[in-house]
Amino acid sequence: MPAIIQFDQTTVSVRAKTILSGISFTVCAGEKAVLCGKSGSGKSTVLKTLLGLFAVTGGQIYFQGKPLDATSLPAIRSHTAYIGQEPVLGADTVRDALLLPFQFKAHRDHKPTDAQLAAVLAKLQLPSALLKQESSRISGGEKQRIALARGLLLGKKLYLLDEVTSALDNESKQAVFDVFADPNLTVLSVAHDPDWIERCDRVLELEEGRLIREERHDHA
Amino acid sequence: MTTLDIALPKMAVLYGLCFVPWLLLWLIGLRLSRDIAVSILRMSVQLALVGFYLKTLFSLNDPWLNGLWILVMLTVADLSILQRAGLKVRYFVLPTFAAIALGTLFATFYLVVLVIQPTHYYDARYIVPLAGMILGNCLQGNVIALERFYSALHKNENEYLTFLLLGATRWEAVRPYYRTAIKAALSPTIASMSTMGLVSLPGMMTGQILGGSEPWLAVKYQIAIMVCIFTSTTLACVVNLKLSLRAAFNDYDVLKDEVIKTR
Repeated sequence: MPAIIQFDQTTVSVRAKTILSGISFTVCAGEKAVLCGKSGSGKSTVLKTLLGLFAVTGGQIYFQGKPLDATSLPAIRSHTAYIGQEPVLGADTVRDALLLPFQFKAHRDHKPTDAQLAAVLAKLQLPSALLKQESSRISGGEKQRIALARGLLLGKKLYLLDEVTSALDNESKQAVFDVFADPNLTVLSVAHDPDWIERCDRVLELEEGRLIREERHDHA
Repeated sequence: MTTLDIALPKMAVLYGLCFVPWLLLWLIGLRLSRDIAVSILRMSVQLALVGFYLKTLFSLNDPWLNGLWILVMLTVADLSILQRAGLKVRYFVLPTFAAIALGTLFATFYLVVLVIQPTHYYDARYIVPLAGMILGNCLQGNVIALERFYSALHKNENEYLTFLLLGATRWEAVRPYYRTAIKAALSPTIASMSTMGLVSLPGMMTGQILGGSEPWLAVKYQIAIMVCIFTSTTLACVVNLKLSLRAAFNDYDVLKDEVIKTR
């Protein structure tokens, strides 16, 4: 399988403080990888650095073989869906939040129909009645799944997930697991949830910005 | 009709009026004596200097000297805008200067060359006070625009980044904050135009009437200056925010931490 993401001796320092210290790992197409470790170990920084939100101060990051820089970043962002612990929906209603990316030039010609919106919600165990709901009135878990639905509507192939199952009940969690069972989707996630970690193909454990353990799970 | 002079003893009587607000503030427990004294002193010295250089400027009426004075006004306004908007000078000094120079010079020359049409377009008696009034208002608008825009971006950084990650270009992602900031910057001028003459008699018109002008002439000049203020403020704010983006964001479209002064 071709490598999608490669961290090569990557170091990230923010305001003279080293957050990631020379970490190296690879995530291949279709693979589900999870970063675990204590709070402050640098897990979320890995995801954000890949999206260009922190500058690489040492080593390199490669996306589909190309080094991360200002030229390759638009391609990375267009391939990737990032769902944080508290996603911003950026619109007044759930329907508008789902349609938000389709206001931008990059997606303007691919606006989904209401039926497609309802179908993607159903896939994530969310009722279509939620479309009319005000974004401010929905729970954290629903917000995370709507952010996920937005990624699915955009046809993203790479998902960077930061604790996406933290606010979900078992049924909703199963729906999220089912979505990512798709071999075409690649996942690099941050999680503490043992169920999520168990289902991932690869576990990368961080401690104080260093990669201290790498373990493969064989689900065959 | 000539304007009655205010002799120096009468000026002393005028300063005596400040005793009323000073006493009121003292009675309500606000100890602002030092601030009040300093600002009144500064105002008086600054205006005395203005009186001196305007007299010199008017008597020499040299286009280069007039131009140099406008350049000084633009530079002071530029630095004042950035200081009041809480932004680092080294990042924004050039875009702000370019924007306010464009707005002020365009509106001033439009008014002087196409509307007023004095014998010499560089006549200090027209160009210096008109550019000063236009620039003064432009300054207020740009302070609001920059402050609102960068505060909103800083406060809503996650929302801005979400827009970027959903496929927005930098321009598409900042546009909601851009529009809100421009609207806030223009609101005082729009409100001022819509209530002008009803709520207050504007300063320039009052000055002209006191100076002996016919009320109709004063009204026409007031309308002219308001139209120019509105045009220049809009032009400068729209261009300033747009030009500032290049300085404020890094190559990855992330707002640089260091551009906003720590408050």
